[in-house]
Amino acid sequence: MRRACGMAVSLLALCASRMALARDDWTFDKTVAASARGVVDISNVAGSIEVSGWDRQEVSVHAVLGGEVERVDVSSEGGRTLVKVVLPSHTRGHGEAELHVQVPRESEVDVSAVSADIRLSGVLGVERLNAVSGDVTAELGNADVEAKTVSGELRLKGHGSAARLHISSVSGDVRLEHGAGDFEGSTVSGTLGVTLDSAGSIRARSTSGDVRLEAKLARGATVEATSVSGDVNVRASAEDGFSYEASSFSGDISDCFDVKAERAGQYMPGSRLQGTRGAGAGHVRIKTMSGDVQLCDRN
Amino acid sequence: MTGPYDGTGRKVDSLAELARSIEPERDLWPTIEAGLGRVEAAAPAASDANLIPPRRRRARLTWLAAAAMLASVAVGVWIGRSVLPDVGVRAGVGRGGAGALATNPLPGFAAATDATTFDAAYVNDPRYQRERAALLRSLPARLEALPPPARAKVLASLATIRKAKQDLESALGKDPGNALLQELLVDTYQDEMRALTDVREASDAGRGV
Repeated sequence: MRRACGMAVSLLALCASRMALARDDWTFDKTVAASARGVVDISNVAGSIEVSGWDRQEVSVHAVLGGEVERVDVSSEGGRTLVKVVLPSHTRGHGEAELHVQVPRESEVDVSAVSADIRLSGVLGVERLNAVSGDVTAELGNADVEAKTVSGELRLKGHGSAARLHISSVSGDVRLEHGAGDFEGSTVSGTLGVTLDSAGSIRARSTSGDVRLEAKLARGATVEATSVSGDVNVRASAEDGFSYEASSFSGDISDCFDVKAERAGQYMPGSRLQGTRGAGAGHVRIKTMSGDVQLCDRN
Repeated sequence: MTGPYDGTGRKVDSLAELARSIEPERDLWPTIEAGLGRVEAAAPAASDANLIPPRRRRARLTWLAAAAMLASVAVGVWIGRSVLPDVGVRAGVGRGGAGALATNPLPGFAAATDATTFDAAYVNDPRYQRERAALLRSLPARLEALPPPARAKVLASLATIRKAKQDLESALGKDPGNALLQELLVDTYQDEMRALTDVREASDAGRGV
């Protein structure tokens, strides 16, 4: 009996000490001078990261931090600004932080997160966005974009400015609207949905997810869309036309210009659709194993 | 040139004209007998050397049979490991699913050299195999570093890639020369490398953040 009482008291004391150590949410604010076209590096494990561009040559950080967050490091030197949420080593990444960061509009931003969602708007410089399981929502600027997630979704919206766009996810869906320039996107099991106002080259690939591509092709543009078991739907318009070649091992191939797909060979499985639209300046190539293919020459 | 002459030098026109038998000029038997005697005298020594007791002969045959069997097994194992597809891995894949994932988080990804006869040339590239093997070795620890929901999704995606490879290989089994399938298989191997690299980078980022 005495031993039981002793154990209960020890347990209560332990709980009390843990409660005393745990902090409530707290806020953090800091502003540092930054170059107009510098690089801003932002990282956070969990919670969210919201980045927006403004017209000042400063980086401003406002953060709402969970009790387990140790501190936020903000420093600026030699054109590079660093914003980093630091957790104590024993937390194993459970401390959440909501970061709001304002950066000079023409900055190059490099954002990394584990399970935090990333939202970015009003930035014109190069964007490099990486998340493991968080979702990425970004407004594209005028420069190149590299966005990558492992399992999170990618939702990107551009303004038709030409750039190089590299977008990939292992299992998340990828959606891009009003992109332009050269696009390369891939996902293993997610859906790839892309619209490009003007495209020089497009390379879209999925293992099991569907690929939906809508693009206005520049003269001589190349399009390559591939999926193993997902369906591929390409709607591409081009003033100077394009040659096309679509093949599928066991999927159906259809088009909106009344050309019938042929068998790949008299004694071979698979079907193939090939020909030329207009002057045939561009080139469209689609291939699937079991996914269906749809090709149209107008958006 | 020899002509058709009998023993006396007379020319013959038919077989009937030949003598039925020709007696030798002398008795040849003593010479033959002496020769046989010499052979018999030499034979006992030689046959003594070859004479092995039946028990020893059986033991020797048993050892020879055992050695031959061992050699056959070794050749069989070598063929099984280096020539035929990795049946064990495929069988494991076939049994995949939630249970299999729970016991083995990477079914079908166990062997870096599970390339089959259908694999494209670059798949057999030593550098590719080294890199893939390294990525696979570190994959369990990398997955452990990911948040649980992300880990589950990544495992599902890796299973998707594995299934795609199986489907393509199976289709190539029916149509080995199909360029479209070969191309898609190469693409799928590239996708696998990309996914594995992304997981590595993601876990590195998790540590660095």
